[in-house]
Amino acid sequence: MNILLSWLRDYIDIQVPPLQIADALMMAGIEVEAIHEPGKHLQKVVVGRILTRAPHPNADKLSLCTVDVGQAAPLQIVCGAPNCDPGAKVPTALVGAVLPSGFEIRVARIRGVESAGMLCSRKELGLGDDHSGLYHLPPEAPVGEDIVKALGMDDVVFTIAITPNRGDALSHLGIARELSALFNLPLHRNSLDDARGDGDIREQTAVTLEEPALCPRYGARIVRDVTVGDSPRWLRERLEKIGIRSINNIVDITNYVMMDIGHPMHAFDLDKLAEQRIVVRRAAAGEKLHCLDGVTRALDPSMLVIADARRPVALAGVMGGEETGVTAATRHVLLEAACFDPVTVRKTAKALAMTTDSSYRFERGTNIDNVPIALNLAARLIRELAGGRPVGGLLDAYPAPPPLRRIMLRTRRVARVLGVDLKPAQIETLLLRLKFEVSREGETLWVGVPPFRHDIEQEADLIEEVARLYGYGNIPATLPTLFSQPVLPTPLQRLTGQVRTAMVDQGFHEIITYSFIPTTIHESLREGPPLAIRNPLSEDQGHLRTSLLWGMIDALTRNIFNDEYDLRFFEIGRVFRPDASGFAREADHLCLGCAGPANPADWRHSKEPFDLYRMKGLLGRLGHLLPVEFEFARGNHPALHPARQLEISCQNRRLGVVGQIHPRFRTNKKLPEEWFVGELDLSALSQLKPRKRLMQPIPAFPAIRRDLAILLPKTATFQDVERIVREAGGEILEKCALFDVYEGKGIDPDKRSLALELRFRAKDRTLKEEEVQPKLEAMISQIATTLGGKLRE
Amino acid sequence: MTDNPETLWHQFDEERRRAASSKDAEALRIKYLGKKGPLSALLKTLGSLPPDQRKTAGEAINRLKARLEQAVEQLIAEFAEREADAALRADLPDPTLPGTVLPMGSLHPVTQIGLEVAAIFLSMGFFLAEGPEAEDEYYNFEALNVPKHHPARDMQDTFYLENGQVLRTQTSPVQIRTMEMIKPPFKMIALGKVYRRDSDITHSPMFSQMEGLVVGENVSMADLKGTLAAFAEKMFGRRPTRFRPSFFPFTEPSAEMDVQCIFCEGKGCKVCKNSGWMEILGCGMVNPRVFEAVEYDPEKYTGFAFGMGIERMAMQRFGIDDIRLLFGSDIRFLRQF
Ligand SMILES: [Zn+2]
Repeated sequence: MNILLSWLRDYIDIQVPPLQIADALMMAGIEVEAIHEPGKHLQKVVVGRILTRAPHPNADKLSLCTVDVGQAAPLQIVCGAPNCDPGAKVPTALVGAVLPSGFEIRVARIRGVESAGMLCSRKELGLGDDHSGLYHLPPEAPVGEDIVKALGMDDVVFTIAITPNRGDALSHLGIARELSALFNLPLHRNSLDDARGDGDIREQTAVTLEEPALCPRYGARIVRDVTVGDSPRWLRERLEKIGIRSINNIVDITNYVMMDIGHPMHAFDLDKLAEQRIVVRRAAAGEKLHCLDGVTRALDPSMLVIADARRPVALAGVMGGEETGVTAATRHVLLEAACFDPVTVRKTAKALAMTTDSSYRFERGTNIDNVPIALNLAARLIRELAGGRPVGGLLDAYPAPPPLRRIMLRTRRVARVLGVDLKPAQIETLLLRLKFEVSREGETLWVGVPPFRHDIEQEADLIEEVARLYGYGNIPATLPTLFSQPVLPTPLQRLTGQVRTAMVDQGFHEIITYSFIPTTIHESLREGPPLAIRNPLSEDQGHLRTSLLWGMIDALTRNIFNDEYDLRFFEIGRVFRPDASGFAREADHLCLGCAGPANPADWRHSKEPFDLYRMKGLLGRLGHLLPVEFEFARGNHPALHPARQLEISCQNRRLGVVGQIHPRFRTNKKLPEEWFVGELDLSALSQLKPRKRLMQPIPAFPAIRRDLAILLPKTATFQDVERIVREAGGEILEKCALFDVYEGKGIDPDKRSLALELRFRAKDRTLKEEEVQPKLEAMISQIATTLGGKLRE
Repeated sequence: MTDNPETLWHQFDEERRRAASSKDAEALRIKYLGKKGPLSALLKTLGSLPPDQRKTAGEAINRLKARLEQAVEQLIAEFAEREADAALRADLPDPTLPGTVLPMGSLHPVTQIGLEVAAIFLSMGFFLAEGPEAEDEYYNFEALNVPKHHPARDMQDTFYLENGQVLRTQTSPVQIRTMEMIKPPFKMIALGKVYRRDSDITHSPMFSQMEGLVVGENVSMADLKGTLAAFAEKMFGRRPTRFRPSFFPFTEPSAEMDVQCIFCEGKGCKVCKNSGWMEILGCGMVNPRVFEAVEYDPEKYTGFAFGMGIERMAMQRFGIDDIRLLFGSDIRFLRQF
């Protein structure tokens, strides 16, 4: 919303610099987004009158003008515009002037003729894009006057953003009222207009208010014999300076009243209203209205309309209808000023996907007392500016005027909430400046809320008003003295922190991807039906992710397309799945993504690739953070390579997967054949029961080490072997570690060799060779019979 | 050769000074203490001495022997150590060769700032609360005093799920969920993702917020100012802050906190749009209606709440000019943090 300083001065005699006004508003909660002073940089441009025009002796398209600028002698100026007609008054830049473009005016010789200035277009003055010719000033502009003054550009436009609670500040009166409180200056209001006129409106129209709950007050006035035409200059200028296009005098007047006192109005062409009367009712199903913006809208009974005897003629508080609007041919006008229920206006505007200056204000609450004031002000302006004759009186359907709202304000409460001891008298003064009514009963104040302050509903709201005017900056800064119970991090919070650190230590870079996934995502990445977003920004963000895999594969892919191949990413984020009743069930997941070397090459090492076992190791060590022992089994996740993947579980809970990305996602040769992802449900993991950590005594007796190399069919797993070895080794087998796997040259192609390091130790004595040997033999024979393996020679 | 222990020592001492290696020291030992050395010669002269002198002369020779032995040992040890050290230094590595490359990862800049902010509040006795990102409308709006058809809903464009839930537009619903679970007094923060239907160079449909709430029997706006000023000092250094009135449905009075621009020290620059101030967070005293919604007695308890955007702070801290970079997963970007 734009606010004009000169307009504010209708109400308040404020003389401080614009920056100080903006600062004060800012510190009172009214944000000033910009201060625009259009005439600030325009100097040495004056009103000139063209006296003569002659063709330039040396150029066809140029004219030679003499221009009266109020100096002793006229200036000779060369001009290229087609409309430098003698008699016209035009902006004349004198020698020394600097135009907004930065162009400096000097005495120049143009094609051999001296030119002592420049005649300007609107564009050259920075007043718009019109460069078709000179800007013809109104004939009454005084010759020689500074153009800034002549055009009323010696003004300041504040662009202001109003929070939704402050509907009362959406006008010049509203801002002036605020400034009057802030600077403690009186607020002037001219004596209000009356409803005098010819005849009696009650005999000429009628208002039927069918829905007083949705429209607590509806007022109407009639002005006859108007001449619809252009608005006078002062009105046009005021509106244009705040960015409202001038339409015709009647419409301009209703807009003016809205920007002046904040009350939206509407003007009907009285002759076009069936039976020349008004009915305020709900729309009937199937009714339509062709609105002023040229769109025909279908209405329903949730919407309030203004109707005549036959049909809707306006969407109450939102927009008027075209058929009954004011046109050049309109003779008699019915003015409407009303108060509509904010919720109904908002619902209607939302349902029809439109916002107007009117609906914006009604949604935020208007001053119900302004209904007659707005009508009488508009009627007077129409009389003065459009030659109309107001009809006497106004129709005012106002079945139940609300009583003055009174709110109790306790001085002690103010002190408790703000932390400042304010005296009752001090509080009273502050509230009076804000136009509240105050009566005092000792420490308690009874505060009457003016009808424009819809945001003041409870004591806390008053405390804010007191604080605002007292100045937030004047409240001291202390620290709370409360004692609160210690609260430890949750297991998930703890685990998340540990995982983050662990992943960074392993060389992984954290990424954050959107929680949205495309509706067209490949089936295999879905893991069940995702939750759908009703109003997504695009199809690409139509669903909520059920896993982090899609975002990870996407991140890897996009980096590889940027020629970055050495990638280790992790993400910790939320996934969403519908529960049995369709509501979101959330969990925090960890996702890893790897492409390129696991250990980059340096001058001593060749690089090592990622593979399934390295991924298994990476994820497996995360279990030790709790600690728990992960189990890995063959997996069947459809987004992963059918053979090269593992499912992770623990304590009978599935925790995640790890594996090579399915070849189907290698949509481009640039993408690697072997790239890996893993996903772990941290929420589930954090709820597992950690293994108890009890100290084991440090061994007191020496161990015996044996290596065992076994040749096995490939169908036998390491786990099969390990189980046998551990069983046969019994209590004295302390360690069984795999240190080599070999297949290939020198070995039967369907066999492989596993080499184990075994360590035997007894707790209470030094072991003897004779105790170990039978164990080894038992192992070998068991492996031979169960697995078909034998000792490798 | 000499027959006097005294002169023999002096002679040794001369030669000792000239020794330059363990080899020289070894040669000295053989020369003086060897079988053919002057010490043996001296000993042999003992027999020719009268018996009354023999004892004193013998003692003098033995003292000399011990002295020589000790001096030679010391000399040998000194040289041995020096020579061993020289041997160790013979194979000098090139200190400029690169160290073995052990991959180093990074935390996302948003995580880094989030943890930094959280750490400051945790150090002041706050605890970290959690809540869902897909919320019931009640928690995101109604319980926070944002009725269904209130213009305040325009402040945040909301994503709705087909099931009627919303993606939380703020972390404030965690306030409600926390208050439903525990009784005052307490100090809590919540950190997490929020969603608004908006996307451009400064707006992301998903971003992170940190929320804070303090409730007790006598928590005042002065406490709010003190707590947040303490936070700002730890986060941005000692510089002026200011509180401006604002509007949030769930606080009353409401405020916005600005801190003096860290780029221009308040003189005005592009970052602060020439105001000299950076907007950091929104805050206010808990609206009694919010207490009513969670069945806290608004007469007994007062409190303050605050919320801030983490991305914006990360962008300021690291000079990031496009919010979309934060969610682009570009390794060339991430590696820098
Ligand atoms: Zn700055």
